[in-house]
Parts: sequence; structure tokens; C-alpha cells
Amino acid sequence: MLEDVETLERLARARDFIDHCYDHPLSLDQISEKACFSRYHFLRLFRQAFNITPHQYLIERRIEKAKELLRTDRDVTVTDVCFEVGFQSLGSFSSLFHKCVGHAPITYREKARETEAAKRQVPGCFIVMYKLESV
Amino acid sequence: MIQRMSHATIFVTDQNQALEFYRDKLGFRVHTDAMVGPDFRWLTMCTNDDPHFEIILMEPKPGMLMDEETSNTVRSLLAKGVLGAGVFNTSDCRATYEEMKAKGVQFISEPAERPYGIEAVFRDNSGNWFSLTQPTGAS
Repeated sequence: MLEDVETLERLARARDFIDHCYDHPLSLDQISEKACFSRYHFLRLFRQAFNITPHQYLIERRIEKAKELLRTDRDVTVTDVCFEVGFQSLGSFSSLFHKCVGHAPITYREKARETEAAKRQVPGCFIVMYKLESV
Repeated sequence: MIQRMSHATIFVTDQNQALEFYRDKLGFRVHTDAMVGPDFRWLTMCTNDDPHFEIILMEPKPGMLMDEETSNTVRSLLAKGVLGAGVFNTSDCRATYEEMKAKGVQFISEPAERPYGIEAVFRDNSGNWFSLTQPTGAS
């Protein structure tokens, strides 16, 4: 368990950088630079602090954003989503999405639309209390 | 100003079994039955006389509203039979009692005269108890 506050703050700064710039192509060098650590030292500390590698964190962030776009934007295409969240290739986006979410992006969108229709029948307080906002 | 109650939650051990019980033994009908995501089933039922009051049949499950300990606690309370979920009205308590009893509903107390009417008490198949009341002057 990392306890040094200064180190944790620097790592958090790098994580914030991913949160803000996930839609750009980001390299480990760019990310570690934000924390002022060498890349390998950074990689090790980041994993120790957050239990995930910076690259995995970036992918998760992108996939979450892609899910949100697929759920909420009726006209967006899967290709649009792929580039909008920072992936460079449709193939790697689709296979990563499938791996993380369990469905292809297009199937996810169909299911999400059915879910949205079901959600409209449920009082909002239940959606909040049962943590269904992002379902 | 609050005008009326439109929904109330009744925790049940199994939504499918509860649906059958409320439909076949109590005479309710399904108002809404919709899956929100893979794990959340919004199941509400109402009486034919009052489609504007929905009872929500909800399973206590870990992972959403409740953690595992809480959901186990609710399930134990149901099993103990200590949760009372409300009062249903009828215009003829004795006749409804006979009908429900014939269908296999478990009664805790038989119809009896009370200051406010005739009342029997039954359980649903999850363990919730309800009063079945014929208010004075209702017949």
C-alpha cells in the first residue's frame, strides 16, 4: 500500500490527465511526464496505487465514454464513437469493447435502447436508489 | 400537497413466484413488467379496481440498493415472518377469506369483528403479512 502523500498526488495528477485527454492518442511517456517519474518507475507506482495499469485505465475510460455515446446519441455510428473516444482503429476498438462489455458495440446499443425504453417506465428515484443510471 | 400513494414496495423472495401468487391467489394483474439492464426487473401489480396504485414486487439482491449483508437481513426478516406490508380492503371479508383459503392462501387469523370492520390476516408466499379488512359500512 502506497502511503506517501506526495507520490500519490503526483500519480493522481497523471490519472487526471488521462481523464481529461483520453480522447487523444496518449503514450506512457506523456502520462508519466505529468507525474514527473520515469516511465517504468511510474508504471510500477501507478499499478501499486490504483490496482490497474495506466494503459488499462485509459482503455476503461475510453470504453466507458463509448458506452455513454452509444447509449445517448441516437445518430452516432460505431465508427464515429471509435474515433471520438480516442481509438485509432475500428478493429481494435470493437474487439476491446467486446472483451470489456461482453457485446459488440452495435449489440450493446440495441440492448441499451431497449433498456432506455424500460427505464422510462420506472420512477426516477428507483433508478437512483438501485444505481441504474448507467445500466 | 401530497394527494395519494401511487407505488409501494413489497420485498419478495422470488419475483416469478410472487407474480403467480399475487395473480392467481390474490387476483392482482401485472401493471408493468420490464427489465432494466440484465439484473433489475421492474415488476408492479395492481388490482382491477385500482390501476393507479401499484405494488412493486422487489427481490432483495446484493449489488444495487443493498449490499450482501443487507439483502440477507431482509431475506431473514421475510423468513421470520415479521414484515407486515399493509392492509387490503374488500367489500366482503368472509367471502374473500373463503375464496383465498380455497386457493391455498395461509391465514394467520380468521375473519373477526373489529371496531373498524371485519378483519382477517394472511401471508403472501414470501412471508409478508397483510390485513384483509372489510371496513364498517363497506358491504
